[in-house]
Amino acid sequence: MDKKITRPRTRRLVQLYAALLYNANLKGFIDGHIYSGDLKAVCVPGFNCYSCPGAIASCPLGSLQNALNAAGHTAPWYVMGILALFGVILGRTVCGWICPLGLIQELLHRIPTRKIRKSHITRKLSYLKYVFLAVFVIAIPLIWGIGKGIILPGFCKYICPAGTFEGAVGLLQNPVNATSFYQLGAVFTNKWVIMIVIGLACIFCYRSFCRFICPLGAIYGFFNRFALTGVKVNPDRCNSCGLCVMKCEMDVKHVGDHECISCGRCVSTCAQGAISLKCGKITLLGPETGKNADPEPEIRKRKKAGRVAWGIAIAVLVFAVAWFNFIEPAIDRSNAPAAAVTEQPAQPETPAGTETETGAGTQEAVSGSAEKNEPAAAAADLPVGTEIGNRLPDFTTDLLSGETFRLSDCLGRVVIINFWGTTCAPCVAELPYYEQLKVNYPDVEILAIHNRAGAKKAKAFLEDKGWDHLDFALDSKEKGLLPLLNAADAMPQTIILDRQGVVTYNAQAPLTYEKLEALYKQALEH
Amino acid sequence: MTREKLFMTAQAVLCAVIAALLAAGALSLYLDGAAKQAEGDLFYYMFTRERVGAKLLPVLPLLFCAAGLTIAGVILGIRDEKADKPVKDEKLLRDLGSIREKAVHQQADQKTLTLRTAVLVIALVLIVIGIISGGLEDVLAKGAAICTECVGLG
Repeated sequence: MDKKITRPRTRRLVQLYAALLYNANLKGFIDGHIYSGDLKAVCVPGFNCYSCPGAIASCPLGSLQNALNAAGHTAPWYVMGILALFGVILGRTVCGWICPLGLIQELLHRIPTRKIRKSHITRKLSYLKYVFLAVFVIAIPLIWGIGKGIILPGFCKYICPAGTFEGAVGLLQNPVNATSFYQLGAVFTNKWVIMIVIGLACIFCYRSFCRFICPLGAIYGFFNRFALTGVKVNPDRCNSCGLCVMKCEMDVKHVGDHECISCGRCVSTCAQGAISLKCGKITLLGPETGKNADPEPEIRKRKKAGRVAWGIAIAVLVFAVAWFNFIEPAIDRSNAPAAAVTEQPAQPETPAGTETETGAGTQEAVSGSAEKNEPAAAAADLPVGTEIGNRLPDFTTDLLSGETFRLSDCLGRVVIINFWGTTCAPCVAELPYYEQLKVNYPDVEILAIHNRAGAKKAKAFLEDKGWDHLDFALDSKEKGLLPLLNAADAMPQTIILDRQGVVTYNAQAPLTYEKLEALYKQALEH
Repeated sequence: MTREKLFMTAQAVLCAVIAALLAAGALSLYLDGAAKQAEGDLFYYMFTRERVGAKLLPVLPLLFCAAGLTIAGVILGIRDEKADKPVKDEKLLRDLGSIREKAVHQQADQKTLTLRTAVLVIALVLIVIGIISGGLEDVLAKGAAICTECVGLG
């Protein structure tokens, strides 16, 4: 038994590097917000949830489900092209070298316990991932998306442990997202238990998720046979002893097949020096000892190239960390654009003709009855903010109907502000309740603000739905409504204001009609 | 039972207990909440920071204990020796003979090169078509805002 701690292998360092590069938005873990800049239009090759606060790019599997969900309107060419590109260049080398979820599984497997070795049973189980791919990634999004018009990313919603660990837990651990707890229920409980079971399985059985469940690995497996990068066997040296397959921890039938993650373990296992990890004709990892070791000058050349590659990689990482944490102006929450915003709180009602000094300027008062002025005057002393008991800052925005919405014009009425997006299933599901509330209580003012991403498609979406009673606005980088109102990146979020403009409810959680009506009445009586 | 085996068994039991407690904690919160909601409490939240904290607190000492044991195990070099040995599952290795042939002949031949080039070209064409048809914006729309349902929040 080897009793000493070994140096981390190159592969482990590459895995750590990839995990850090994918999650270079380190400030997201501190401020509790995700990166929402333009780089999110690009997918990373590995499994990394795009709702992780650190993620700088999108998850290819989540994007694929989203694209298949929308296949009734637009074909998923882009995501399919991206997956094919990663597949043909890297194949399942992605799984072995640059997948953060693979790294987590391997670290869990390092916990010293008895291990379950591969067998004919695990080999059979390895075909399960194709079932997960067919059912949860392809069939459910397609059937629900095209057939029923419902957004349902099956794998993300019901299974994905990366989403639970990186996304849900990553966000919930931050006090900023405390209201996200309100919406936890059956879906979270189910996913939490699945994550625990998968984590436990990984401790005892090498890469259990990767081998038996991962649909992304299943997709890349299709490309493995002809991928540019992967382990290759030199037939002149191979004596067909089969040791490579027998010592491999994955369920491979032969080196480089669809189960092979090109980890390179077989390179050092092969006594014949017949196996090497190659990218085209370039050898990335070759036999360095034994009778068929690569020539010394070649090994030296490879190591030198490796040092240069590491130098470049570290420079890229440093740049990425600096860019995403200090330079990139994706959403600056500390300095929301002022173009659409009057930098003052919505003012409570004061007698007609009176003018009120508000620091940044004067605002013409709204007429109101003498009875309403007492609570209004009390509200004027409340701090400006988005928390319950605060007065929301005043803002102006253009509506899709062509009119202009100004928060201070709504004083004297209950105002409900809802943040939503066309790609968010709970948002789309709850909007009819807002419509119904507006029909039942015409005095309520409801503003539904669409997230800036995908805003262009929201117009067409709304034309289809015909929710005529609601006021819709599209957010944009320039308007910056979400950061101004301190809306989370999580949708749906609802802010309810009483008649004096004081926040009575602010939470990231979908609402039922009953809850919405109860909250409205509560605000009305506030 | 050797010292190593005892260590690994203890660690395995500890991991299983932690997993069971974490899963049971979530389930009990959910079941309690479901019962409260069934009674008609519209705004009863199943999970809150306080409730989750109360469930996690008893697990923390066990987690630290498991982490400590793991570090000790790594330092002492304790690991399942079987993991380093070739597998001997006969059913698994039955068809190894015929499979070796494939492995030996998997060299990049002309057919593979053609296939690789064709897929590469198709991938690039798909990406270009996708970008033109607004695929980039679709991915951005999904990635730039958290879909609470997708990450299991609601």
